[in-house]
Amino acid sequence: MFLAIREMKHDKVRYGLVISLIFLVSYLVFILTGLATGLSDLNKSAIEQWNAAEIVLDKDAQGRLPQSYLSAHDLRQIGKKGAQLAQFSTLVKSHNYKENAQLLAIKRQEFIYKKLPLQEGKKFGAARTVVVSAKFKQDGFKLGDSLTIPNSKVHLKIVGFITASSLNVAPVMYTSFETLKEVTKTRSINGVVFQHSGDKHLKLKDSRRYSIAQFIEQLPGYSAQQLTFNFMIGFLFVIILIVISIFLYILTLQKLPNFGVMKAQGIPTGFLIRNTLVQTLLMSILGVAVALGLAFVTALILPTQVPIKLDWNEIGIAGMGIIVMSLAGALIPIRQIIKVDPIQMIGG
Amino acid sequence: MQGLKLSAVSKFYGTGTGKTIALEQANFEVGKGELVLVVGPSGSGKTTFLTIAGGLQTPSKGKVMINGRDTATLTAKERTKLRLTTIGFVLQSYNLVPFLTVEEQFELVTKVKGHNLAPARFNKLLNDLGLKQLLRKYPSELSGGQQQRVALARALFADPEYVLADEPTAALDTERTLQIIKLLKKLAHENQKTIIVVTHDLRLEAVADQVYQIIDGKLSKQ
Ligand SMILES: Nc1ncnc2c1ncn2[C@@H]1O[C@H](COP(=O)(O)OP(=O)(O)O)[C@@H](O)[C@H]1O
Ligand SMILES: [Mg+2]
Repeated sequence: MFLAIREMKHDKVRYGLVISLIFLVSYLVFILTGLATGLSDLNKSAIEQWNAAEIVLDKDAQGRLPQSYLSAHDLRQIGKKGAQLAQFSTLVKSHNYKENAQLLAIKRQEFIYKKLPLQEGKKFGAARTVVVSAKFKQDGFKLGDSLTIPNSKVHLKIVGFITASSLNVAPVMYTSFETLKEVTKTRSINGVVFQHSGDKHLKLKDSRRYSIAQFIEQLPGYSAQQLTFNFMIGFLFVIILIVISIFLYILTLQKLPNFGVMKAQGIPTGFLIRNTLVQTLLMSILGVAVALGLAFVTALILPTQVPIKLDWNEIGIAGMGIIVMSLAGALIPIRQIIKVDPIQMIGG
Repeated sequence: MQGLKLSAVSKFYGTGTGKTIALEQANFEVGKGELVLVVGPSGSGKTTFLTIAGGLQTPSKGKVMINGRDTATLTAKERTKLRLTTIGFVLQSYNLVPFLTVEEQFELVTKVKGHNLAPARFNKLLNDLGLKQLLRKYPSELSGGQQQRVALARALFADPEYVLADEPTAALDTERTLQIIKLLKKLAHENQKTIIVVTHDLRLEAVADQVYQIIDGKLSKQ
C-alpha cells in the first residue's frame, strides 16, 4: 500500500493515464450493460411481473404467445389452475398521441389480475376500462383519460396505472376478455400461465408447456439482441485485459531499475509484487468508481426514449469483472519483477 | 563464526576473446568492529569485489563466507533477506527509490524490516550527515553528494552488521569526505559494525583499520 500510493502520487500522469483507460472501458461496459438491461426489460418486464413458473401454448406456435390459439379441448386438458391470457398487439391513439401497445386480457379471479403491481387508481372492472403501464403516465396520461384503438373505434378508459410494464417492446395495458372481444371481434385465449410448475402427469396433446425462461428466449428478437450485447460486453472485457496487460507491462519495464534498487536494498520480491497488485487494484477500483458515477449521471441525462436501466446486480457484476480482469492483467509484470537481478541495474 | 571471508575468489565477465578477469584469486578477511578500505584505480575491480563480497552477485570461482555461511548455498530469497538483515549496500549510483522522498526512503526500511535505528541515534545520524533539511526532497532534487549521503544514512538506518560502500565519498569535498569516513570508523568501533569501503581516494587510507589494494583484479593487503 505504502509504495503503491507514493508511486501513484509521484507519477500522476502515468498512472492517471491507466486509470482513464480503465475508466473509459468501464464506462462503455456500464452503458452497454444498462442498455442491455433496459432493452431486455422492454421485451419482458410484463412477464417478470407475473412472477410465474410456466406457460402453456399451442404446440405449433413455436413458443410465441400471439401466434398461439388454444381450443376449448386444449383448455379442458390444461385445467383450471392457471391464468388465461390473450395478447393483442395494437396501435393506441389519443389527441396527438399514437404508439404501439400490447393489450392483454386476463380474468379477474385469476392470479395475474390479483398480483398486478398497482401504482395508482384501481384495477380494471367495468367494460372498456384498462389498467396500464406507468409508461403512459410518463407520456402525460392521467386517470380517466381515454385511448382509442384505431380500427375498432373502441375507447378504453384508464382506471389505473401499474409499475412500468412492457412486452415485445411496447407498454402493456390489461383489460378483461370481454373488452378485448369488443376490440378484436373474436374471442380467443392465447396461453395459460401457471404460477408454479404444473403437475408432470398433465397430458397435453395439442399444446405444450414452456418454462417462463424458455418462453422469454422465444420472444421475437430477444435472444439475438441479448447475445449481441453480451458479445460486445465480453469483447470489452477482453480489451480491458489486453490494455491493462500492455500498459502494466510497459510501466513495469520502465520501472525495472526501481525494482533493482529496492531488491539491492533487500526489499523482498513478495513485497514488490503485492505492491503492484495493490496498485492495479486501486487503479481499477478508481476507474470503475468514476465510470459508475458518470454512468448514473448519463442515465439521468439521456432522453427517456433511450431504454437504459442501471441494475445494481448487473452493474455490480460488470464492475467486479473489470476489476478481476485488471488484476489478471497485473499478473503479467510479476514475472518481470521476479526476474529483475539488482546487479544488472547497478552497472560498473 | 562471525565475519566476512573471501577465499580464492575470481570473477570473469564474458567469454572467449571478450573475456575480462575482473577479480583474480582474491583472498580477504574481516572481523567485527573494523573499517576496511579497498583502494584501487577505476576499472580495477572494486565494484565487482564489493558486490561479490555482499552476495549481490556470485563469484565465478572461489568461496564467499558470511557469518560462517557459504553464500553460494543461499537461494535468491535468502540472499535478499541477507541484504535486508545483515548487509547494507551503498552502491556507486542508483541507490534511492526515485518516487520516494528522503524521509520515505527510511520509512520503506521500517515497513519491511522490523528492527532499525533508535530515534535518538537516527536523529544524530541525520545531523552528522547534514540531511535534516533534505527530508522532504525527492532524489532528483538532490546533488550527487547529497544522494550519496542519503544512501549511506539509509543503509545505516537499517542497522546491518556489515556496511559495504562503493565510493561513498566520490562526490564530496575533502572536508565532508574526512568527516564521513571518521563517522564510519566511529560506528565500526562503537557499535561493532564491519564497514568495507572501496574507493580510488587515497586520502582515506590514513583513517582505516585495514587497507587492501586492488589493481587489475588482483587484491592484496597493505
Ligand atoms: N557486467 C559486466 N560485464 C562485463 N564486464 C564488466 C562488467 N562489470 C564490470 N566489468 C569489467 O570488469 C572490470 C572491473 O570493473 P569494476 O568492478 O566495475 O571496477 P571499478 O569498480 O574498480 O571501476 C572492468 O574492466 C569492467 O569493464
Ligand atoms: Mg566501480
